Amino acid sequence: MSASYILKRIALIFYTLFVVSILVFGITQILPADAAVMMLGENATQGALAALRDQMGLNDPIWLQYLHWAGGVVQGDFGTSLRTGQTVGPALFSALGTSLTLAVLALALMLILAVPMGILAAVRRGKLSDLVVGFLSYIGVSLPEFVTATLAVVLVADLWGLLPPAGYIPLSEDFWGGMQRLILPVCVASVMMIAHVSRMVRSELVDVMHTDYIRAARLKGLTRRRVLFRHGLRNALLPTITIVALDVGYLLGGIIVVEEIFSIPGIGRSLMSAIQARDLPVIQAGVMIMAATYSIVNFAADLMYAWLDKRIQYD
Amino acid sequence: MVKTNTVLQVENYSLAYDVKGGAVQVLNGIDLMIRRGEILGLVGESGSGKSSMASAIMRHLAGNARENDGSIWLGETDLRTQSEHQMSAIRGRRVSMVFQDPATSLNPTLRLGEQLAEVLIRHQNLTMAQAWAEGEARLAHVGLKTPREMMQRMPHEVSGGEKQRVVIATAFACNPELIIFDEPTTALDVITARQILDLFAALQQETGVASLYISHDLALLSQTADRVAVLQKGMIVEEGETGTLFRAPQHAYTQTLIAAAPQPERRLVQPLDRAAKPLVSVRDVTVNYGRKSLLDSLLRRDFAPVVGSRAVTLDLRPGEVLGIVGESGSGKSTLAKAMTGLNRFEGLIEFDGKPVRGLSDMDANYRRDVQIIFQHPDASLNPRQRISEILARPVKLYGKGDGSVRERIVAMLERVRLPASYIDRYPHELSGGEKQRIAIARAFLSNPRLVICDEITSALDVSVQASVIELLMELHRDTGAAYVFITHDINLVRQIAHRIAVMYRGDLVEIADAERIADADRAPYTRKLLEAVTPPASTHSA
Repeated sequence: MSASYILKRIALIFYTLFVVSILVFGITQILPADAAVMMLGENATQGALAALRDQMGLNDPIWLQYLHWAGGVVQGDFGTSLRTGQTVGPALFSALGTSLTLAVLALALMLILAVPMGILAAVRRGKLSDLVVGFLSYIGVSLPEFVTATLAVVLVADLWGLLPPAGYIPLSEDFWGGMQRLILPVCVASVMMIAHVSRMVRSELVDVMHTDYIRAARLKGLTRRRVLFRHGLRNALLPTITIVALDVGYLLGGIIVVEEIFSIPGIGRSLMSAIQARDLPVIQAGVMIMAATYSIVNFAADLMYAWLDKRIQYD
Repeated sequence: MVKTNTVLQVENYSLAYDVKGGAVQVLNGIDLMIRRGEILGLVGESGSGKSSMASAIMRHLAGNARENDGSIWLGETDLRTQSEHQMSAIRGRRVSMVFQDPATSLNPTLRLGEQLAEVLIRHQNLTMAQAWAEGEARLAHVGLKTPREMMQRMPHEVSGGEKQRVVIATAFACNPELIIFDEPTTALDVITARQILDLFAALQQETGVASLYISHDLALLSQTADRVAVLQKGMIVEEGETGTLFRAPQHAYTQTLIAAAPQPERRLVQPLDRAAKPLVSVRDVTVNYGRKSLLDSLLRRDFAPVVGSRAVTLDLRPGEVLGIVGESGSGKSTLAKAMTGLNRFEGLIEFDGKPVRGLSDMDANYRRDVQIIFQHPDASLNPRQRISEILARPVKLYGKGDGSVRERIVAMLERVRLPASYIDRYPHELSGGEKQRIAIARAFLSNPRLVICDEITSALDVSVQASVIELLMELHRDTGAAYVFITHDINLVRQIAHRIAVMYRGDLVEIADAERIADADRAPYTRKLLEAVTPPASTHSA
């Protein structure tokens, strides 16, 4: 993998974000919301509204408005919230931090559970443990977050009273208290990924264990453990990396639901309330941040893939 | 015979696989014995059970395998009583294996050094550092020039021959008593295969290991093995000392196999009218692969394409059979693809006096006149179409002639010696040889004047290959079509071609009359290629 490839990929990320920015700006233009009315209220006089529109540049041609906005974004200025009147950036980035905590924990939990589950099912193919893993995965992939979240709140929090049902405390303030409140959201956010990825690991590993080089490794007298972990798993995990990166996109969507249900002040929740309030600058900024996150994750996955499989020649 | 000299002893061994609705017998009452320092050749066609024999010895059988109470002894060890745990300590240390295709038997994501060293660590209790040093020495021993670098390389970074050397070094690493070679040169080019065979012979001499050499190639076994066992449908029909077996084969099947092996001296093609005007003239045809990327253009960088074939010029007369030989990547198939419009090319192809400079010049007439048959009928026949649909296409496209579409298809099936009832079958209901006959029928249904055969027999067994060649030669006599016959089987092409073109890395080295290809004044590469070819079995004398 060459330096020029990495540069090219980074350029591609910016290109992607450029396209996303046009889409986002375009969509917010179509939304039936008048920023001036939003700020001054329904009862404002026509004169005041016109003056504000003029001041905000809403009468400028669309491309000029886009350039104003995009120029600000490039400099880290996402504009001012129509609802609160505060700059959008700092609030959103702190929300992003909260969401990332949730997402990273969900990903970690997924990897800790899904990979061993997949290995177990593949190694004991056709046996009871394979069937159990397969059955659980089927249930997992067929349950959307709003179902699992509701079940979790009703059963674990309300009925059994094991964990708090909602709320959020930053881990830096109270680690254990924060963790207690994160357990349910993290589990809910990772259920479908666990089901998906464990099935992926299983099928990839089953395929790999039937290849000639695995047979060759066995016939060299290597121990089962070495054949499985050194020869088999490495090759089986390669395609899984791509799947995990794609699942991150799914996770970003799932987190919006999870944050809403568990009242976690993350970027998903900010986005939801911004949409309800027609708070255009916040919507624009939130979507841009999510797109950037997704692009970066996929870029990282590609780098990791190339690092693990030296045959991949990007140029 | 000294009993203690026996390395492998298989007695009355039978093996079957349980399948839905019964069992398939793959090995039946096998008796084999190999002494120290001896090479036993096991020859058989696909499905004869030769690979199952290897799996049985390695005790690496599928879950549905059913064995009888026959025995397999390695020295004093009864392999059939060994647990999987005990076996894993025997594999790689006392009995090891070299596989057919080094491209698939090496793990693509591990360094070559690790794949060699891990055997030494496992069986010789070496540390990583010791095993790595020992591995380097072993790689040097199998003739690799830069063992230190080779240890660090990944499989995709080295050539097929180098990979197979690493596999062989691994098999010999723990000085085993027995090594099973499962078609170790089949996936390699002629010259590379010759080098690997020489290496095998040298190591065999030096170590005195007992070898079971599995192959479908009789000619090859006649030169490498001390004794040969002929396996047909799971039974050993004949076994004997190599020289005797080839001079005086007793069993009918052995005789068929030996007769089916191509003999360069036995010409199968009629002499050609050399005065005729060329049907095809290929003038300076060059094929480049790869394209300049957008970024290259933006940065005004030079772009170096991969050359498929370089300025190839040759003529083909009506009814001529032109053989094209060369190792993989030499540009044989590239040229064929250019001539059928599957590749862009630079240069000029004149067909029947009409210039063809690219795809747009290939009109319906050209496409009717020029047909191609591919190596793998499995890939070139649509699995979802019945034979009738597959064969109706050329009839409908180029349909001149008498009778209905169906009648003409049936008549063509008869010509390729397939029963008319096959017309409603799907390709998967046919054997490999039968499928290739369908592909041949499809090519000939348009009454072509030039048929390009791209390795069409290399996926077939020897006896099937012989009958397909016989069919091709018969069609050649009847239709007078010219053939471009691309192959790596030099013995075969010497039988059927009028002239042979030798290609090397995209260049046409030379074109020579088939009868004169073995002359002393041929180009150096041609001579090297011919020297690497194993002469056919029946000319061998012990």
